[in-house]
Amino acid sequence: MKDFLKNNGVLILIAAVLLSLITAVVSYTFGGVADPITNVFGVIATPFRNAFHAMVSWSEGVYSDTFERESMEAELSALKKENAQLRRQALDVETTKQENERLKTLLGLRQERQDFEWTDAKVTAHGSYNWAATLTVNKGTASEVQVGDCVVDQYGYLVGVVSVTGLNWSTVRTVVDVDLEMGGLIARTDEAAILEGDFALMGQGKLKLTYLPEDAEILPGDTILTSGLKSGDEATYPAGLVVGTVDQLLRDESGMSDYAVLTPSSELNGLEQVFIITDFSQN
Amino acid sequence: MTRRDFLTKWLAYALALLPVWWLESFVCSRFTVWGVHPMLLPLAAVAVAVLEGGTAGAGFGLAVGILWDAMTPGVPGFSVVLMACIGLGAGLLAQYALRQDLLGCFLCSLAALAVIDGARVGLRLLWRTAPAAELFSLAGREIAWSLCFVPLVYLLFRWVFRRVPKATVI
Repeated sequence: MKDFLKNNGVLILIAAVLLSLITAVVSYTFGGVADPITNVFGVIATPFRNAFHAMVSWSEGVYSDTFERESMEAELSALKKENAQLRRQALDVETTKQENERLKTLLGLRQERQDFEWTDAKVTAHGSYNWAATLTVNKGTASEVQVGDCVVDQYGYLVGVVSVTGLNWSTVRTVVDVDLEMGGLIARTDEAAILEGDFALMGQGKLKLTYLPEDAEILPGDTILTSGLKSGDEATYPAGLVVGTVDQLLRDESGMSDYAVLTPSSELNGLEQVFIITDFSQN
Repeated sequence: MTRRDFLTKWLAYALALLPVWWLESFVCSRFTVWGVHPMLLPLAAVAVAVLEGGTAGAGFGLAVGILWDAMTPGVPGFSVVLMACIGLGAGLLAQYALRQDLLGCFLCSLAALAVIDGARVGLRLLWRTAPAAELFSLAGREIAWSLCFVPLVYLLFRWVFRRVPKATVI
């Protein structure tokens, strides 16, 4: 070996220098392309490298499954809980926001009608009885609610009148109920008439204004308010509450008098929260 | 039938009444068909009467009447008596004149609803609170829409009937 190097050392050195020069020239000429030796080495090594990488990945997976699965599952469960909690919070915020809006609107009305005493109530059931139009609310005698108290929505539109009270619940007869009868006033002309429910109109969510004065100047679109009178002359209800608007004018079956069909201003079917007027000034 | 069996059976019927009550009060009350909501509790009283006979029907009708009385405005106690009579009548009719099946239940339900709405229309006509045509129109629509629920209510109670203890015949 010693002799071989001694005799051929110079040749080997020259060959090595030439090989490096060729490699350098090729690398420079085909910039970015591996030189032939590196390339050959890479081609041979690739399958082994791939196999080694796959084996390492598999081992990592096994390790994760064995030692980290439990903690990951716990983390997932915690995240799910947190997500559910956040969703609940978002829902609460939305509900509070809606309630806040209603109360804000009511605040304006409260400032406008300082003679009213109110209590707010939630609508717990919409009546399923076809022979009456009622709502059930979650306030009763414990909150000083009495039969005959007027119920309005957040805009101050009349919803109905309390007809039955329990300790913590009340039944409200809505303005379209056939048994409801109260004094009405045409806002534009100040003419008085009677608001009453009707079987044919109740299903459509409407009511009628009857006993119109002979020369009444009533037009579709007119706003109708409460006059404050019941069917007699007794002042029972607060005056000036908006009941609805006139849809059309019709002649009754006898052909002797006219009546107006009204659409209530309050969205009776979509009510969630209402306000009960527990006291008001009769002046 | 032991006392325990008796209690189990009527507890099962009472539990089956809950979804019917829930459907009537909280689902069907949200929308109308032909401008009306269906009456489901009387159908429940009739279904049990058809399956169990007159006496049991009267008892269950009484219980349904109490619940119905609490739910609907009107003369207090009237629904209790009316429903007990309907339960008795439907039970006897199904036992002796009709068959204790879906068709029998349908016919008994039709008769029961006609009696209920007949009483309502009669009272209002007596008090002259509304024109007869409007009252009959409302009653007709209400009966028609309610009858659509007979199969559902009958099948629910028949499912319970097949699983509860029966009276021992010696």
